[in-house]
Amino acid sequence: MNMKKQFKEGLLTKNPVLVQLLGMCSTLAITTSLFNGIGMGLSVTFILICSNVLISALRKVIPSNIRIAAYIVIIAGFVTIVDLALQAFLPQLSENLGVFIPLIVVNCIILGRAEAFASKNGVVASALDGLFQGIGYTAALIIMCVIREFLGSGTFGGGILNGGEGIRILPEGSPAMLMIMPVGGFLTLGFVIAGAQWLVKRLDKKEKEAEK
Amino acid sequence: MKSTRYILRLVLTLFLITAVVAGLLATVNAVTAPRIAAAQQEKLQKALKSVLTDAEQAETVEISDESGMVRTLYASPSGYAAQVVTPGFGGDITMMVGVSKEGRILGISIISQTETPGLGAVSAADSAAGHSFRDSFTGLSGFVSVSKDGGEADTVTGATITSRAVTAGVNAALRCVADRIEQGAAQ
Repeated sequence: MNMKKQFKEGLLTKNPVLVQLLGMCSTLAITTSLFNGIGMGLSVTFILICSNVLISALRKVIPSNIRIAAYIVIIAGFVTIVDLALQAFLPQLSENLGVFIPLIVVNCIILGRAEAFASKNGVVASALDGLFQGIGYTAALIIMCVIREFLGSGTFGGGILNGGEGIRILPEGSPAMLMIMPVGGFLTLGFVIAGAQWLVKRLDKKEKEAEK
Repeated sequence: MKSTRYILRLVLTLFLITAVVAGLLATVNAVTAPRIAAAQQEKLQKALKSVLTDAEQAETVEISDESGMVRTLYASPSGYAAQVVTPGFGGDITMMVGVSKEGRILGISIISQTETPGLGAVSAADSAAGHSFRDSFTGLSGFVSVSKDGGEADTVTGATITSRAVTAGVNAALRCVADRIEQGAAQ
């Protein structure tokens, strides 16, 4: 496994959201403002790296019949520890991320990577896989957030920039409220996936041409 | 027999992993629980301060609450503050409602909520829209309803259910304080 290939896979050709279609629940639910996307993306990346490392380290100890149960216990344990630690030591951040942290347990990207990658590869490669898949997830969320926030609320950077209000681009009242509702999530996701597929196909074509 | 040993190995491995995780969680919980409780207490005090000017002198008092929403009622020389839990769109909304001795709303502060980000959550947000929603209750009295239902309080755009839930909580607090004032007058 080389790093460059892993990075490219995480970001585009095997992007967890846009190509593997994992973690749809959180992708559709929280991508309404930039802050949400970044917060959720970073939390998932952190937990993904931790669980990948531990599962990879234990991959020879855990018998395959009970691997899923063992992974879930490890993942849920990690998420709960992070959740409790945030509540205790960074209450402000925990309040902002509130709903998203417990949601990570049911985010199938984590279990998906444990099963598809960490259980078959070494610790370092698994850590990198967690990092790159996490970056890919975060990037997909940010794209969704920017589109939906712009069309739905008419702002950019909601939750962080301009004192939490976001920078207003469209005048108030004109944006399509629909876009920050679940319907808008599905619509945006469809278009973003189409865009990603187009890019993947184009890259494939170029690679083939280069081989010739 | 090999299969018995294999089954034993399965059970023991899973048991060990679960035991280690449970032990870890217990340790983490023991460390964090008092801090989390303190942080929640602090949040409560902050909410109390934001609705009552003399929150330091506030004391809990006995209540008669028919709605079942009022959790605690605090009384201070300047007025009352009621901690209310009201069912919102995505779960319970906990908030603090300050009411003056004349039964007018001094202010409301939302302590915790799990409403839709970008819609219902605006009601609790520290943003211009959030402040203007909460401030629209200040000074109202009697029975409050949102603008969508022909009332005086604002409705958060796209979050009628959340706005109505907040209003229901405010009304429960007003009712509770009114009962309390009546009792005081009767004595």
